[in-house]
Amino acid sequence: MLQPALVVDGVTAGYGSRPVLDGISLRVDKGEFVVLIGPNGCGKSTLLKTVAALLKPQSGRIELFGHDVTKLRPSSRAALLGVVPQKVESPMAYTVAQIVMNGRSGSSAPWKVLGEADYEIIERSMIYTDVLQLRDRYFMELSGGEQQRVILAMVLAQEPGMIMLDESISHLDINHRYEVLRILRRLNREHGMTVVLVSHDLSLSSEIADRLILMNSGSVVAAGSPADVLQVPVLSRVYDCDLQVQQDPVTGFVNVTGVLEGANATGNPATTLHVIAGGGTGIELFRRLGLHGYRVTTGVLNRMDSDAEAAKALGVEAVFEHPFAAVSDDAAKKARLLALGADGVVVSDVPFGPGNLVNLSIAEAALDAGRPVWIAEGVGGRDYTGGREATALAERLFSRGARRWESVQELMTDIKHTIHDRV
Amino acid sequence: MKKTRTADTTIKPTALLGIRAVSAGRLVLFLVAVPLLLVLSLLLGSSGAGLPDMQSPVGKAVLNLRLNRLVMGVMVGGALSVSGVVFQAILRNPLAEPYVLGVSGGAGLGAALAILFGAVAFVPLSLPVSAFVSAVLTLFLVYGIASRGSGGAPSVYSLILSGVIVSAICSSLIMFLVSTASVEGLHNVIWWMLGNLQPVPLEQRTVSGMLISAGFLMSWMLSSRFNALTLGRDMAHYQGMNADLVILGGLLSATLMAATAVSIGGMIGFVGLIVPHVTRAIFGPDHRWLIPLSAAAGGTFLVLCDALARTMLAPIEMPVGVITALAGGPFFLLILQRRMKSAWIA
Repeated sequence: MLQPALVVDGVTAGYGSRPVLDGISLRVDKGEFVVLIGPNGCGKSTLLKTVAALLKPQSGRIELFGHDVTKLRPSSRAALLGVVPQKVESPMAYTVAQIVMNGRSGSSAPWKVLGEADYEIIERSMIYTDVLQLRDRYFMELSGGEQQRVILAMVLAQEPGMIMLDESISHLDINHRYEVLRILRRLNREHGMTVVLVSHDLSLSSEIADRLILMNSGSVVAAGSPADVLQVPVLSRVYDCDLQVQQDPVTGFVNVTGVLEGANATGNPATTLHVIAGGGTGIELFRRLGLHGYRVTTGVLNRMDSDAEAAKALGVEAVFEHPFAAVSDDAAKKARLLALGADGVVVSDVPFGPGNLVNLSIAEAALDAGRPVWIAEGVGGRDYTGGREATALAERLFSRGARRWESVQELMTDIKHTIHDRV
Repeated sequence: MKKTRTADTTIKPTALLGIRAVSAGRLVLFLVAVPLLLVLSLLLGSSGAGLPDMQSPVGKAVLNLRLNRLVMGVMVGGALSVSGVVFQAILRNPLAEPYVLGVSGGAGLGAALAILFGAVAFVPLSLPVSAFVSAVLTLFLVYGIASRGSGGAPSVYSLILSGVIVSAICSSLIMFLVSTASVEGLHNVIWWMLGNLQPVPLEQRTVSGMLISAGFLMSWMLSSRFNALTLGRDMAHYQGMNADLVILGGLLSATLMAATAVSIGGMIGFVGLIVPHVTRAIFGPDHRWLIPLSAAAGGTFLVLCDALARTMLAPIEMPVGVITALAGGPFFLLILQRRMKSAWIA
């Protein structure tokens, strides 16, 4: 049985009469690296403050390494638990060394002067977090990542058995975030430091945590390995939105992403656009049209073509043909129906050959039916039909009112105006 | 001197981290200047420059008087400066000064009452005692209002806000008392409020000296906590100190010093606001150094100002409170605009 570093047992706590924590219970073992996740306002920060005895629990009990937190002397508590808040600021011009020194002097008796041993600990913490070379710089003039490492050094100088970090790395850029995480990971592995990290980044959490604890409305919803906790049904309920969870088959890391409204074209969008593409020229079109809230159809595409894969992944309705086969009459007919059912047709900068020239004639049919058609500039440069059939057909379409487009941004604006004017 | 070092060099970490605590050159210069300036102030007086004739009883009396005023100046100047340092640290605010939490308003009201109701004439020490007591009472009032507003320990903002409001109320009451006072009482109140260092009776000086020393020692003892407190109350709490107790202790000791200084010297402005800033600009914000150094700086500054007040219009003597801002202002502005960056970040 592992010795627990932290036991929270049925704790209710909060501000005023409204409790934020609602009889929460959890446990962190010695030497564990735990990430605490949950939506804004779920009580993560309140839990952290209550564990650090900044807030008194209204009921329940919190134990740090077997000691009741509310009965610990402040200095003994600091030796067990170090806290790195979201942001630490000092209005005065302290140097880095002076800031880190607080970690030693804060909990020692007021009349005690720091000795050799204290300075050694201070120096070691600064080396560990790689801030020794910054020791004479002004703390408030450092970058966010450097400041965070300085605060970490200050907290390490307390020599605590466990550290808790409150969203401290969320506002750092990816490079500095990983820098701090590497230090934490090393502390955890080499020194058996228990680490509890409050984080908003679900994917990052799954990368570094031994265990995740998911909180919602002041209590624990799920706890366990990232793969156990990061489940779509639980997450979608807790975060109250659609989420996608993908586990990397190679590394086992779990990736959680949100779904932007309209991106998967469900529901009842007002406008449909049919995209004629192939060879990867349609991916960006699918994505951007989806982002703008259009329903997208496409075809004909050859299976295994990257556009076909993208259409499947994004839930775009499509007509497929066998890999590398020429478009059959059957498929062309289906695609023509899709195109005629749409409010407009966009032709990407797909190269045309004998096998897919029929796709361009689908655009012609749409134009005949009075639908607006957009064709990417420069068909002549990607005409592999042998003769100049594709070029000729495109010119004919242009002369009959098909519109040209060059950049996707320009295309989006034009589509918006055209469709809007028609409505 | 600056070179990169790696972990395995043998340089003692104490030396490594101690260097930048306080610049050694400036410290030596300061420690030489302080006694020199104090001696200089002994040579100045309304009876003329130079050491008085020590053989004559008059000369002895003059020197004795100057010594007494020097002691008064050191006590009052040091107390106000350290009080300012502590208030600025606790309230994390460069505008904080000894009078910010109503100390001056309360003390002034107490003194005005004592003077105008004539207690001064009958009861010895009634003026300083009533000034002191009402200053401390005002602090408790301010602290109480601020705590009630924020449910528990008061926040910095509620402290400053209720301090400013209570001060304003006290000022209005003083104005009311003054406007209805007799001419003689008026003169006494105004003279007291301008501040001066005329020696008070020995017993009072001794008691005041003990109170100020107690406040100073308490502040100095809490100095490393003040360092942590400037990172915010929560962070200080996480560092393993009882932050609320440190704040309360700091407020009490700072008020004790300021109220005592006011009770013997009247309301001398400017010292408590500006000496902490200048000392911090020169020696950095580490309170373990800042507190003793600003005590010495503030004491010396006020003694010098008093020497100027005695001599500039001799034999007329000006209230020292007039000189502090007039003489010190431009000088300190010069230092501050060059070195503000090493004091506050803003």
